[in-house]
Amino acid sequence: MLEYLSSIPGALCLALIWSIMAIGVFITFKVLNIADLTVDGSFATGGIVCVVVMAHGGHFALGLLLGFLAGLLCGLVTGLLYTCLGIPPILAGILTQLALWSINLKIAGSKANIAINARATPVLVSQLNIYNSLWILFLILIAVAGLLYLFFGTELGASIRATGNNPKMSKAQGINTKFNIVLGLMISNGLVALSGALLSQYQGFADINMGRGAIVIGLCAVVIGTAIFSKVSPNFLVRLLSVGVGSIIYYIVYQTVVFIGLDTDLLKMLAAVIVALFLGIPHLRKTIVPRIKKWKKNKELLKEENNL
Amino acid sequence: MIELKGIRKVFNPGTSSETVAINNLHLKLESGDFITVIGGNGAGKSTLLNIVSGSYEADEGLILLNNNDVSRLPEFKRAPYFGRVFQDPMMGTAGDMTVLENLSLAFRRGMRRSLFRWSCHSKDKEFFIEQLKTLDLGLENRLNEKVGLLSGGQRQALTLLMATIRNEPSHHMIRRDYIRFYDGDKKIAKEEFDKAFKEAKEEFKNKKAEIKSSSLSKEEKKVQLKEAFNEFDKKVRVFDLTKPVLLLDEHTAALDPKTAAKVLEITDEIVKKNNLTTIMITHNMKDAIKYGNRLIMMNKGNIIADINGKEKEKLTIEQLLEMFTKASNDMLSDSAILGN
Repeated sequence: MLEYLSSIPGALCLALIWSIMAIGVFITFKVLNIADLTVDGSFATGGIVCVVVMAHGGHFALGLLLGFLAGLLCGLVTGLLYTCLGIPPILAGILTQLALWSINLKIAGSKANIAINARATPVLVSQLNIYNSLWILFLILIAVAGLLYLFFGTELGASIRATGNNPKMSKAQGINTKFNIVLGLMISNGLVALSGALLSQYQGFADINMGRGAIVIGLCAVVIGTAIFSKVSPNFLVRLLSVGVGSIIYYIVYQTVVFIGLDTDLLKMLAAVIVALFLGIPHLRKTIVPRIKKWKKNKELLKEENNL
Repeated sequence: MIELKGIRKVFNPGTSSETVAINNLHLKLESGDFITVIGGNGAGKSTLLNIVSGSYEADEGLILLNNNDVSRLPEFKRAPYFGRVFQDPMMGTAGDMTVLENLSLAFRRGMRRSLFRWSCHSKDKEFFIEQLKTLDLGLENRLNEKVGLLSGGQRQALTLLMATIRNEPSHHMIRRDYIRFYDGDKKIAKEEFDKAFKEAKEEFKNKKAEIKSSSLSKEEKKVQLKEAFNEFDKKVRVFDLTKPVLLLDEHTAALDPKTAAKVLEITDEIVKKNNLTTIMITHNMKDAIKYGNRLIMMNKGNIIADINGKEKEKLTIEQLLEMFTKASNDMLSDSAILGN
């Protein structure tokens, strides 16, 4: 049990890192109403760019910044594929993700993973100093959520929300929906890459596989957070922070499952099942439940009719 | 003034399901015209409106706004000059955003959406409340509620308001649109505006200096300065050419009869108050006769009857039906006959 408890702070650190990534997913999935699969690639891009910068003697802040900028570029590519070339957004994301695999390899110097010497290089967050990292990551999450809340309250941000909510109305109100979609995808992937950069600093290395399945973890956090907080408050800041809470819940469950001794090979499947359930249940509630009710009612009516 | 010249639109060209939706259509509206459009299903009414607003691009033809072709402007750039209400009440508003946010979005139609301004201002809020009160639906008390919670009629009335309210355009925008829509040589328009603007500004400057050097109290100076600015502003606003053209695509078709009547009433009020140029598609012959100063009947992508002014005032439903059957041997769609 003690072992389990001692693993919680580390899990929280990971949860906070992934929550920034999940907020990026939230922007595309909930605000823009697009399922963007670029994130699997851009997450690794952020991590690798950060490590490469630091391996060349760059400051950790420069690593984070360049990681973030690389993410913006990834989003730009997907956005242009979608808006200018008319490729469906899911496919556009997959194409960028695939291309990023090669690009990431090239950035990493054709190596599958690269490490930084965490003891010799100053880093912002590190596995070696979990409690400090926890505080820093918490502050970063609050800052990101706060900044996004302010951004989506501006005229530009509000027009992005409108674009995702009702594109036809947005065009009729003179909003450049294509520009807004590209901008939204850029911000989203920028945050995802920033999260990847933080993760690579935290664990001391970047791996070109680190983004695999990232979209599912991000969606997990988003759907869990939304399921819990959707009834509490429709406030945008609450919704953003709820994604963080969703991420924390996901990681605690993850840690618990690992502790119980579930085969770790099954973890990705578990994540997929959680997402499928959380996305599927509201739909079933709308379709199956009324049908069952109707069926029961009809059965009673038939019974009454037979009795008459 | 808006004019359509030789509009043609073909759907699915080159396939077996090729349909000519609009065929060589000509239409001219004077500013202040309120046109009602009737016609059977597939007559091309909605397509026409979608072409005017830019949702569809016409295959051929010109759309002239104050003698200026706008047919190549994308939809969102045309939006400042057209206010639209759709048949589906869900279509015209963002359901996940509040009434206030929706109005704020509409208020900045045609302006740059800046990163450095909040989308909702308390200053505008008072104006919105005032406008919502004229709808008489109690929406002024529900500013912070999500639009998705409103009824279809309320959403349609709100869309109507969003289509017609517009922030006072900046001087820069007035200049741009004046030049863009000037009927004639653009150079003259530019000179004309710049000259008038310079004169007005000079006058304002002189007055400002005069007020500042006078021996009035600070408060009085402030009031006078504001007055002087308003005068200057007024002189520039004379050049504001663009009042949105209202495009209504069967906007009451999805509502129950009572709500539909109320929304139509509001529509008429808004149009009359702002003297808006309006095109209204309707399935209801009675409404088509009751509202507006001109009636157009469409069939197979063209206008088959155009009834204007006094002639329209005398028009009856029977006459309209007769005209329709005479002009086309097609059967009227049920909804057109049954529209009470």
